[in-house]
Amino acid sequence: MIERGKRQRGVARTRARPFASWLEQHGWGLMASVRRLGARPMGTLMTVSVMGFALALPLTFALLLGNLQHFGATLGQTQAISVFMQPGVKDQAAQELAGVVRARSDVASVGMRTPKQGMAELAAMQGFGDALKSLDYNPLPYVLVVHPAGSLDTGRIRQLVGWLHARPGVDLVQDDGAWRSRLQALLDVARRAVLMLAALLATAALLVVGNSVRLDIQGRAEEIAVLRLVGASASFVRRPYLYAGLWYGLAGGLVAVLLTMLLEWALAGPVERLVASYGGQLQLAGLPVWQLALVPALAALLGWLGARLVCARQLRRTV
Amino acid sequence: MEDAAGRGMLAFFAADAAHVIRFDQVSKRYTTGQEALAGLSFHVDAGEMVFITGHSGAGKSTLLKLLAMIERPTRGSLTVNGRNLSSASRRSIPRHRRQIGMVFQDHRLLMDRSVFDNVALPLVIAGIAPAERARRVRAALEKVGLLAYEKLAPVMLSAGEQQRVGIARAIVAKPALIIADEPTGNLDPNLAAEIMDLFDQFQRIGTTVLVASHDLMLIKRTRKRVLVLDHGRLVDDVPATEVTA
Repeated sequence: MIERGKRQRGVARTRARPFASWLEQHGWGLMASVRRLGARPMGTLMTVSVMGFALALPLTFALLLGNLQHFGATLGQTQAISVFMQPGVKDQAAQELAGVVRARSDVASVGMRTPKQGMAELAAMQGFGDALKSLDYNPLPYVLVVHPAGSLDTGRIRQLVGWLHARPGVDLVQDDGAWRSRLQALLDVARRAVLMLAALLATAALLVVGNSVRLDIQGRAEEIAVLRLVGASASFVRRPYLYAGLWYGLAGGLVAVLLTMLLEWALAGPVERLVASYGGQLQLAGLPVWQLALVPALAALLGWLGARLVCARQLRRTV
Repeated sequence: MEDAAGRGMLAFFAADAAHVIRFDQVSKRYTTGQEALAGLSFHVDAGEMVFITGHSGAGKSTLLKLLAMIERPTRGSLTVNGRNLSSASRRSIPRHRRQIGMVFQDHRLLMDRSVFDNVALPLVIAGIAPAERARRVRAALEKVGLLAYEKLAPVMLSAGEQQRVGIARAIVAKPALIIADEPTGNLDPNLAAEIMDLFDQFQRIGTTVLVASHDLMLIKRTRKRVLVLDHGRLVDDVPATEVTA
């Protein structure tokens, strides 16, 4: 059966078919990793859940932040400077001023609201109708609604506001740009916070996977010793654990995406009601698909990295 | 004169090539201070079967560990197949072990794998194609008389059968050298004799076999060369022809 003349060295054969044997060895490591995770289903489930929740948190914040930004941007498009004329100003004077303002290069458009229109709007609001009927004259002034050119920065808008205020017959200039820049600054802070949170929780996920893999390695000291004794290389011994880390990460990432989508779905109703109160211009924007696809991929990489770090430490002493 | 020197060199290399194992003044002192081997020198020719015996703690296990590069010698030089293990790098250990078949007293099988998978392990590691692998695993299992058990888990086998699975794993990659550490330690005399018969067969087809054992009855009955260790020193080297039952 084992004849001397036919003796072939395994090592020599590896070189003859390097790619095929590389694939087979990866297949072995892959199967071993699946067996490993299957051997401790509760532990695997726990690790995957912890990682999923940890990653879902920054993802949810990113979702909320994206929507706030979207919300702010949509409001920003309707941004207008309201110019209230003095009560005594007549139609002609208001029209003249509107013409002068419209001629400016930093103004996109000018609308006008007459006292009559204003009264009609007020009357349409609940509860105001009866009160207004008791008035014997219209106390509302003419209002110019000035839309600045889109490219204007806050400094130029402030200049425009000052100029408008200095026009004769102008009583009050109301600029809603201030809260907009405040919102922008707030969103910048929030974005930074979400990034930091994501970094912290990604590190936590890495440690969780690392710890699971460490326990796995310690539980399989005997198997590792046998593999080393029959001539397995360090990378062969390591491979099942690296795959296990990859699976932990991938599954954790998928759980995170599922959780986020669940939250998105749960939020859709209330947001719709909020949107209705703003005239229905808004919609809950979900995270883009490429981001959702990227999360499991990055999580898998994270899991692999966690496993790799632990392997470097735990398998160093095996002979 | 030059000619004589040349012939001397040639003879030296030829002798060296024929020695599968050569210990030259090898000492091993563990970090605990225990001196396991002291100035050990001997060589084993290709195709020889040799017993290593001695009381427990005499250095039998240490000797095998040095051969498998589980331990490194503190002093002296140790060559296997012409390669000096004293100066070999850590990275070369896996390749070295793939060229040796190892059998352990407690067989060291993977209990969550089938008999087939256990025996196939060295071939997977060596990168042998699946078809060739299956053929070789079955040949090895047939050799140890366990072909019918390939799908079973090792726990379902008796101690003697488990040991034979371990032996099949050691020979499946067709190593030129087999080392066995008390392979019959846990077996009754009949099973032990069967195991020795297997090693005898491997020797007959040209494999070098080294067996550490303290079972003197078995050693006498098998009639092979015997190295006797005592407190880390080689105290006797009995040729096969002088071993009497």
